[in-house]
Amino acid sequence: MELPVLNDAPKAAGGCSAGSCGSTDDQMDQLPDSIREKVQNHPCYSEDAHHYFARMHVAVAPACNIQCHYCNRKYDCANESRPGVVSELLTPDQAVKKTMAVAATIPQMTVLGIAGPGDPLANPERTFETFRRLSEEAPDIKLCVSTNGLALPDAVEELSKHNIDHVTITINTVDPEIGAKIYPWIFWNNRRIKGVKAAKILIEQQQKGLEMLIAKGILVKVNSVMIPGVNDKHLAEVSKVVKSKGAFLHNVMPLIAEAEHGTFYGVMGQRGPTPDELQDLQDACSGDMNMMRHCRQCRADAVGLLGEDRGDEFTLDKIEDMKIDYQAAMEKRKVIHEAIQAEMDSKRLEKAAKVEQFKQEPKLDTRPVLMAVATSGQGVINMHFGHAKEFLIYEASPDGVRFISHRKADQYCGGDTTCGETESTLMRTIRSLEGCEAVLCSKVGYEPWEQLEAAGIQPNGEHPMEPIEEAVMAVYKEMAAAGKLDAKPEAARASA
Amino acid sequence: MAVKIIESCVNCYACEPVCPSQAIYEAKPHFRVNSKKCTECEGDYPVYQCASICPIEGAILNSLGEAINPPGSLTGIPPEKMAEAMAELQAH
Ligand code: SF4
Ligand code: SF4
Ligand code: SF4
Repeated sequence: MELPVLNDAPKAAGGCSAGSCGSTDDQMDQLPDSIREKVQNHPCYSEDAHHYFARMHVAVAPACNIQCHYCNRKYDCANESRPGVVSELLTPDQAVKKTMAVAATIPQMTVLGIAGPGDPLANPERTFETFRRLSEEAPDIKLCVSTNGLALPDAVEELSKHNIDHVTITINTVDPEIGAKIYPWIFWNNRRIKGVKAAKILIEQQQKGLEMLIAKGILVKVNSVMIPGVNDKHLAEVSKVVKSKGAFLHNVMPLIAEAEHGTFYGVMGQRGPTPDELQDLQDACSGDMNMMRHCRQCRADAVGLLGEDRGDEFTLDKIEDMKIDYQAAMEKRKVIHEAIQAEMDSKRLEKAAKVEQFKQEPKLDTRPVLMAVATSGQGVINMHFGHAKEFLIYEASPDGVRFISHRKADQYCGGDTTCGETESTLMRTIRSLEGCEAVLCSKVGYEPWEQLEAAGIQPNGEHPMEPIEEAVMAVYKEMAAAGKLDAKPEAARASA
Repeated sequence: MAVKIIESCVNCYACEPVCPSQAIYEAKPHFRVNSKKCTECEGDYPVYQCASICPIEGAILNSLGEAINPPGSLTGIPPEKMAEAMAELQAH
C-alpha cells in the first residue's frame, strides 16, 4: 500500500505539498516499507494517526539508576512525563488489568507504554512481567518502553522476546563533557559514579543499546531535552549520530524547569527554550532527520486521545470492579480499527487530491504565518476556544500547511509574579499563543474574542468541523488577500 | 551496626533489590531497614549499596545517625541556594 506517513505527505506528490513541505516531514517516506507500516498508525509517531488512535502509559517502574538535572525523584521520570507529576504506582498485575480495562472501554487505545515513574529498565522484573503477560493476554496491543539507556544493553535480549513495537532512548548528548552538566551521577557496577566519567559510561551504554536494538530489528526513537546553553548547539550532532545508527525518529523536547519542582535546573535558574528557539532547533535538525513535533510529553500514567487524560475513569478501585471479557473486546476492537483505518485512508486520498489542486494554483509570495487550532481529534476544527486545554500550532506559507507543535493552554505560566492569582486563565491561554496570528476554533466567546484581538491574534470561528489543513489554508489566503502578509507583524515573533 | 532509612525517603524502590543482605523492605509510610539483617555491606561491597543508589539526600543514615549523602552531594544544588529557592516559594 502506498500510504503517506507523518504529516501525510503523499509519496507520489513529492516536493512541497499542503500536508508538509520540502525537507521536513516527507523524509518519512524514505523509510523502509516495514518501518513505515509500523509507524503510520501509531498515535505517538504519525501526526494524523494520533487524531484517531490513543496510547496509554502504566506506572510500574519506580526505581532509577541515574540522576538527571531536570528531574526530582519525588516525581515521575521527567524524560517521559511532565516534571512535577506523580503517578499512581501499579503492580504488574494491576497494570495488566488496567490496560485491558482501558482497551475494552476505549477501543482506539492501541499502544501501551511503560515510561516510569523511574527508568523501566532499572526495574526489569516489574517491567518484563507486565510485557510478558500483555503479549500473551492482549496480543492486539502494541508495547513500547522508554529508557535512559544505562541498563539497555542487558535488556535487549529480553525485549526482543515480547510484542515490543519500539524503544525510546533519551539521549541528550554524545559528549561526556556536556553530559557531566546534565547528569550528576549514575549507579554503575555497585558504585555511584560522578562527573565526566559517569557521563561517558552512560553515553557508551546508550549508543551500544541503540546499535543492539537496530541489529535485532526493533524500532528505536530518540528523545532529547533541549537545554539552552548546555546542549542546544550540540543536538544537531546528536541527531546525525543517532540517525546514522538507524534510529527512525528524533524528538526534541523543551526543558521545563521551575524552582518549585526542586530540580537542579529549576533551583539554579536554568531556563527552558522559547517556542521559537525550539522550533528553530527542530527545523535545523529535521534537515537530518524526522522530528516528532506532536509529542506532548505525556504523563507516565496518562490515558486517552490527543492530550486528553481519562485516567480518572480507571483508578485502581474502579478497575477492580470491572469484568473484562477480552476475547469479545478484541473482536469489537478489530471492527472499530478497520473502520478508523478506512476513514484515515479516504481522508489521506482526499488530502492528496487537495494538494494536487493546490499545486496548480498560482503560488503566493507571502511570508509564513503561525496559527493555533482547537481540536478534540478526527483532524477537524471541533473545539470551543474556552474548552481547549491545548492548541495545535500550524504554519501556513506559500508552500502549504505544516504541523509545528502542541502548546498547553497555560504552559508558559512560570509561577512568577506576573502570573498566578493575578493572571486569569484566559490571559495565560493567550500568552501561550504568543507568535500566532490567528486561532481557529469551533466557537469563541465575546470576552476572549476582544482580548485575543487586543493581543494581535485574530480569532476565527468560521470553519467549524472543517479539516484543519484546509481551514488554515483558507484563513491564510484571506489574510494574503487582505494585504496582511506584506509586512512583519509587531505581535508575532518579536517577543516570542 | 546498621543503616537507617528515614522519612525523607520517597519510596522509589531503588535500594531494595541492591541490598546484598535482603535487609530492606517496603513499609508504610516509607521503606525500612531491618537492623538485625543489615551488614553495612561488609564482606560484599566496599560501599553501602543502598546509599549508593538512593537519589534522596539525607534519606539514609549511617550507624552514627549521620546522613550518608549530605545536602548538595547528589543534586549538586548548594544548600544555601536550595534554601533561598524554597524561601522564595514560601513567600508567594
Ligand atoms: S532517567 Fe527519568 S527518572 Fe531517572 S533521573 Fe532521569 S528523568 Fe529522572
Ligand atoms: S548498608 Fe548494605 S546491607 Fe545494609 S541495608 Fe544498605 S545495602 Fe543492605
Ligand atoms: S532508594 Fe532512597 S528514596 Fe528510594 S526507597 Fe530507598 S531509601 Fe527510599
